[in-house]
Amino acid sequence: MSGVWIVLEQREGRVGRISWEALAAGQRLAAQFNLAANAVLIGSQTESLAAEVAGKANGKVVRVEHPLLTTYTADGFSLALEQFFRAEAPEYVVFPHTYQVRDYAPALAARLGQVLIGDVTGIGEGPVFIRQLLQGRLNGSYRHTGGGPCFISVQSGAFRAEVIETGGAEVSVFTPAIEAVQIRTKPGEPFRDSAQTVDLGSAAMIVSVGRGIKEAENLPLIQDLATALGAEMAASRPICDNGWLPMERQVGSSGQTVSPKLYIAVGISGAIQHLVGMKGSQCVVAINKDPDAPIFEVADYGIVGDLFEVVPALTEAIKAAKQ
Amino acid sequence: MKIIVAIKQVPERDAQVRIDAAGNWIEETDLQWALNESDAYALEEALQLKEKNGGEVVVVSAGPERVGSTIREALAKGADRAIHIDCDDLNQRDALSVAKLLAEAVKPESPDLVLTGLQSDDLGYGQTGVILAALLELPHASLILHVEKTTTGLHVKRELEEGWFQNIELPTPAVLTIQSGGSKLRYATLMGIKRAKTKEVRRINPAELGVPASAMVALERIAQPQKQKSTQILPGSAKEAAAALVEKLKFEVRVL
Amino acid sequence: MCSVTHHTTSSTLILYLASSPMILLPATLAEPQHFSLWERLLIVGLAAASAFLFWQRFGVVLDKILHSKKDADFRLFPIGRRIFDFVWEVMCQAKVIRQRPLPGLAHAFVFWGFCAFVLVTLNHFAVGLGIGFLDPKSIIGGFYFCFAAVFALACAVGILGLFVRRFLVRPRWLGKKLSYESGFIALLIFVLMVTYLASFFVANASPTATALWWIHTLALLTFLPIIPHTKHLHLVLSPATVFLSRGGFSKIPPLAGDEDFGLVTGKDLTRLASLQAYSCVECGRCTEHCPAANTGKLLNPKEIILGLRGYLNEFGPASDEPLLGKYIAQDAVFECTSCGACEYQCPVGIEHVPIIVGLRRGAVNTGAWEDDHGGKLFLALERGSNALGISAGERDKFIQKQALPIFDGTQEYCLWLGCMGGYDPKGREIVADFARVMEYLGASYGVLRKEKCTGDPVRRLGNDLVFQQLAEANLEAFAQNKVKKIVSICPHCVRTIQDDWKEYGTPPEVEHHSEFLARHLSQLPLVQSQEKIVYHDPCYLGRYRNTYEQPREVVERAGGLVEAPHSHERSFCCGAGGGLAFLGEEPGERVSHVRARELAGTGATMVGTACPFCNSMFRDALAAEGEGVPQLLDIAQLTARSLPSTESGSAG
Repeated sequence: MSGVWIVLEQREGRVGRISWEALAAGQRLAAQFNLAANAVLIGSQTESLAAEVAGKANGKVVRVEHPLLTTYTADGFSLALEQFFRAEAPEYVVFPHTYQVRDYAPALAARLGQVLIGDVTGIGEGPVFIRQLLQGRLNGSYRHTGGGPCFISVQSGAFRAEVIETGGAEVSVFTPAIEAVQIRTKPGEPFRDSAQTVDLGSAAMIVSVGRGIKEAENLPLIQDLATALGAEMAASRPICDNGWLPMERQVGSSGQTVSPKLYIAVGISGAIQHLVGMKGSQCVVAINKDPDAPIFEVADYGIVGDLFEVVPALTEAIKAAKQ
Repeated sequence: MKIIVAIKQVPERDAQVRIDAAGNWIEETDLQWALNESDAYALEEALQLKEKNGGEVVVVSAGPERVGSTIREALAKGADRAIHIDCDDLNQRDALSVAKLLAEAVKPESPDLVLTGLQSDDLGYGQTGVILAALLELPHASLILHVEKTTTGLHVKRELEEGWFQNIELPTPAVLTIQSGGSKLRYATLMGIKRAKTKEVRRINPAELGVPASAMVALERIAQPQKQKSTQILPGSAKEAAAALVEKLKFEVRVL
Repeated sequence: MCSVTHHTTSSTLILYLASSPMILLPATLAEPQHFSLWERLLIVGLAAASAFLFWQRFGVVLDKILHSKKDADFRLFPIGRRIFDFVWEVMCQAKVIRQRPLPGLAHAFVFWGFCAFVLVTLNHFAVGLGIGFLDPKSIIGGFYFCFAAVFALACAVGILGLFVRRFLVRPRWLGKKLSYESGFIALLIFVLMVTYLASFFVANASPTATALWWIHTLALLTFLPIIPHTKHLHLVLSPATVFLSRGGFSKIPPLAGDEDFGLVTGKDLTRLASLQAYSCVECGRCTEHCPAANTGKLLNPKEIILGLRGYLNEFGPASDEPLLGKYIAQDAVFECTSCGACEYQCPVGIEHVPIIVGLRRGAVNTGAWEDDHGGKLFLALERGSNALGISAGERDKFIQKQALPIFDGTQEYCLWLGCMGGYDPKGREIVADFARVMEYLGASYGVLRKEKCTGDPVRRLGNDLVFQQLAEANLEAFAQNKVKKIVSICPHCVRTIQDDWKEYGTPPEVEHHSEFLARHLSQLPLVQSQEKIVYHDPCYLGRYRNTYEQPREVVERAGGLVEAPHSHERSFCCGAGGGLAFLGEEPGERVSHVRARELAGTGATMVGTACPFCNSMFRDALAAEGEGVPQLLDIAQLTARSLPSTESGSAG
């Protein structure tokens, strides 16, 4: 048995925040059971990253290296890690819950006769692993009942990356035996959909403006906020009716239906025609001077105030926070 | 092209869920059920592939008697026939055990393509399709928005994080898990429902498939989450409120 | 006001003219000389030829109607309603006159003239064959011919008026193309009347009398074969259409059997639909009142009916050719708000809404209709509880916040929220205010813990599958909760519960809140205000339910009632009905804007509505009119304003 292993994900030569969060979660788990917390980096040419990781970990840091792992494939990654974990026989394996992990970790666990406990938001005594059920309406506590390694993946933001201990881990290399024919899929280069002019439907953040903006001349105020956030700009119907913004930016029953992570409604009272288009948003922020505006009923956060004061202040605060 | 679509029946989106007496599952009586959303997209993708390339669409679903209504819905939307794996203990099985059931049911069909939704709206494991691929020893890709048949296999569009996409080529047979929103769902029609009455639904049980109930991972307890969604009004001057909001966006919404 | 004055002047004028010939005419009608055998044979031959030519076309039409599918829901009884409709609409020409007084009266005179002429015409031919049975010199004959002459004169004047209207005034709903056949028919009718009247001024058995007889005969024998070839077919068919009509306004017939998906191909056309298609007189009243046709959309209800006729003429009732295609555009069919103005106006008993909904059913039940917004609506109602696709939890929150009592079977009323009342912020305000009024009155009521959409939008859009699911689920919920009486702020819910659900069970008694409010007005505080309130008749309350006066009583108690130019049964739709509230942007001008402009144009300071959909449509539309537009409140809100203000904290 060789303790807790945290599989870190690298993207464009960097280890992302969620991987550091996974490392922190793994280290906490290790501390709880007096186990060593070790890290795995998978890919090719991960020397410098491994050095960075070694500065933040106590246990071992292993580079699972192979030329066929340069580009991610589910086949390649699960084959390589299967060989590695068969050799290491860990107690726990912790992943960040990323799209990549979701793509191969369940198969990897299955190859080892295990089941991944995915998208964990908390770790309790036992250990039991907490994850959301029914789209967040309930929480479930899971326990690993079988023998062998326990695989978990942790949700982004569930564990703070700040609590990581410093340490000087030793770095070693594991070279799996992989052949090109074993990798059956041919992945292409990542791309963005550039052809579409505006795709509010897949926008992660939207700043939407309503009648409260009063004049078309005031729109740059909203544009500045959207730019600062890196968000798309949208509007309620009256704004598009007036021709202040193109119709394709209209959110609502006769326009687009959106479901961003963040939806900021500025000067929008919240007529049903509008609510229908944005009800799928994960977080709604409403800025309106009327405290009784229906938009506040669907908002997670509300600021009651004059948008001409609040929006510039918010833009500045966001710019400051991003620096 | 023979396509198998694995679908799941889940509580309706609006359903009021209550925790059952044992505390490890929800009260199922009086609950209304629906086809899992991403499975609906998987079915839609399969139907479109069939319309373009010909072939057959077979749906497979595991669950108790009530699953029949969801199977009929899939048949009504255009699937040709169905396999109903009759099991009452679906929520006590982990993803591996459910994938084993599906794998045993799928194997004799020797399909060209197996589709499932990305994840279920109830348990939300998001693993069944990927494990199914491992069990069937087939290549797979997840988070797929669009599937095209090519002369050598498949060309699929996969969603990556933060607005990025990727195209992947893979040979058939293969397993794909389908992300919601890649295509437009067709609505169920009266004609479809009437035609579905005569379509074949084969029922089979876990014992016949040789998959015993076993779990590596157990759902011990379920509970209401602490916080309920309600509006937090951020007080203070414009500047103070803005600062408070940025804090929230950073640490609670985590978008900054 | 304007039309009323016209009405009185014109009728006086015609009455005056109608009474004058009695003085002018000599007492007896001249008869022609006796005809020889050859002449009689010629008469018989010509009459036979005319009848043959008539039948050559009419037989085909009749064949197409009779070979259409039987109407599964058709019941001749109770026959009283049918007889009443026939007498009122056909014999009295009530609908024809009421909706367009001047041309209506002109038409009525032509019609009555024809009725009076039946006996005259029979005798006319009998005289030709030497077997005349009405002697102009006898008292009965003399009287009858003079009696008919009055009608003949009125008819001649009427047809002249209609001629002038069609060819000189040319209202736009008659279509751009001039109908020369109508002109020719008018000429024939005019000749018929003039030759008859002229016979009073010539000597009996004189050559002139004989010539007049022949001209009259030839005009008649020419007229007869033209009838089935032109819109004048309505002369023969429309009395039957009115008598056989389905009855009940905009009644959507149940589907018959497992293979009925609505109007898909010619095989689905029922006898009533085919009869109605051939009965259309192309008067364009439907178009004149259609909100879609008036705002630059593709839909023109007249063209839908004529499209069916065109289809029947080309393909017939046994065809597998889709109905939506060459003759009827799918897009047009889905632009209908189901406001029913067309059907209400139609003087020949055509039921447009069931036909349009039937065509939609055909497209939706088979999956042929593809529309992003429509698909989304259907999916929302397949899976969720409301047409807006919002989580049912939001309704729970609203009920909690308002502390609305939950219906437990002991209360008198079940207050039905509906999608708008449960989820729309404006609709919620209406519900909250109506609940306040009910509480003030001490009415016992409760709301259901769970509601599903009544299915109104999917019903009108033709999705029978989802409609059935919703109707059955709701009926079951009502039965379980022992609901006996429902009151609702939404006329669409009221209509759907009361009429459309009947296909699947027995709905509880249901009333609209205007009816409830009007009944309790005397118990409410009277707070007089000088405010001018223009009331908008919702289609589903007015035309669909005949509730015109109760909401007005409520409005009058809150302020001064102002009538819009289009009001009561001529009210102009807000644009939301027929499921259109949930579809995307409409082509042409927005119906809601046209109506809002009309309402604002009355100078009223307040628009009173009685339907949450109208309210929601006008909210945006009035705002688009700019500054100084009237306020907008539901009648429940107008009523609640008069209540003494209460501390809202007491609900906790």
